[in-house]
Amino acid sequence: MKRALIFGLIGCAGCIMLALNASGAGGPKPEPPPKATTIAELAERYDSSRCADCHEEIYDEWEESLHARSVLGSPRTAPTIITTIEKGLKLFPYSGVKSDDDITVEHLMLCAKCHLPQLDEATDDVAREIVATIRGWQQAYRDGDDDKAEELEETIESLNIGCMVCHNKIALIHKYADGYPQPDTVYGGQEGDHDDDEYSLMAEAPAIGESIFCGQCHGQGPNFELEHPSQCATAYGSYLFAYVAHGGSESCQECHMYKSELGHNMQSYRDDSMIEMALDVKVESQSLFWRKNKEEGVVPIGVIDVSMYNKSGHAIPDG
Amino acid sequence: MGRGPYEKSGILRETSLAPLKSTHETFEIAYPFEDVEKDGKTRRELLKDELNVTVTLYYVPFGEFDGNEVVFFEEEKTIDLKTEWIWR
Repeated sequence: MKRALIFGLIGCAGCIMLALNASGAGGPKPEPPPKATTIAELAERYDSSRCADCHEEIYDEWEESLHARSVLGSPRTAPTIITTIEKGLKLFPYSGVKSDDDITVEHLMLCAKCHLPQLDEATDDVAREIVATIRGWQQAYRDGDDDKAEELEETIESLNIGCMVCHNKIALIHKYADGYPQPDTVYGGQEGDHDDDEYSLMAEAPAIGESIFCGQCHGQGPNFELEHPSQCATAYGSYLFAYVAHGGSESCQECHMYKSELGHNMQSYRDDSMIEMALDVKVESQSLFWRKNKEEGVVPIGVIDVSMYNKSGHAIPDG
Repeated sequence: MGRGPYEKSGILRETSLAPLKSTHETFEIAYPFEDVEKDGKTRRELLKDELNVTVTLYYVPFGEFDGNEVVFFEEEKTIDLKTEWIWR
């Protein structure tokens, strides 16, 4: 018994050592890249089309996803950014925003933390250019100027959660252990050389297949690290505290990428296969004469009992 | 919860379907009937003894039916009171 306990303790110590030594192929914190000064420059830096030559299928999947239009949205996101400015930033007494000219990257990170994390690599002029572009797009729609609306929509769409956001910028979560993402490396499930001039290496991102990876944006509620915390996404909080805590064991990727067979076209409620995977609904009915009360007497009623079982990994709806 | 990021601070009221849990909703629908007086007695009679019921589960992203609603589930059922239509 004592021996078994000792082996058990050694085993546990081994696990802890393994956990402490687990690492990806990150490295020292690199110098931040020069700030992009225009939308075009920022979009070019994160342009996913260069990946399409070799990864055509994945690129095509991604292009269908909302990640490919994370600022434009469904297109619900871009107008919400404007609402955030008008109903939030301009009305808050200490935001420093009285007009669009006052908007900085820091202000937009309220939305961009998840919708465009690479905005932190741009100047405040880019933040203002984004706002002006969205306003111009809205105005073009109001004016019925379809050509201009389409042109500006393309500009907004050029800002997105592209390949290099997940596979480089936010690829490594535990930077003290795994290091910082290196500017020449694509992070995923493999190691080795990568046939690309700019990203010539591949390395493993230990968490890229785990739910925590998605939780970086599809989060736990208010983003307290921001000057003005807001709460959009709560899915990872729901996943941790309502799903895993009650025995759930599947990951975001298992359902949204593999079981759904959607791959990098990660979808939610707009996709039939995701709806199918989300709920089991059962409808039962009976009809009877129901002695309701003294005043109304016996009433002929149909009773419809609807049972909804949420078999997904988070509350529905959630985001 | 609040309707936009500028006012959101957390989940203020949870109305979603919780994972790994069943949620039940019951709906009572009265069959059309009328009270008929005959020979000094009142008798409750069914006007229709069959109901066509459609159960639809919507997700309403903006909180109202504005064209953005998504149907998660729909089932049609015909229910009847043919076997027991007289009030006893």
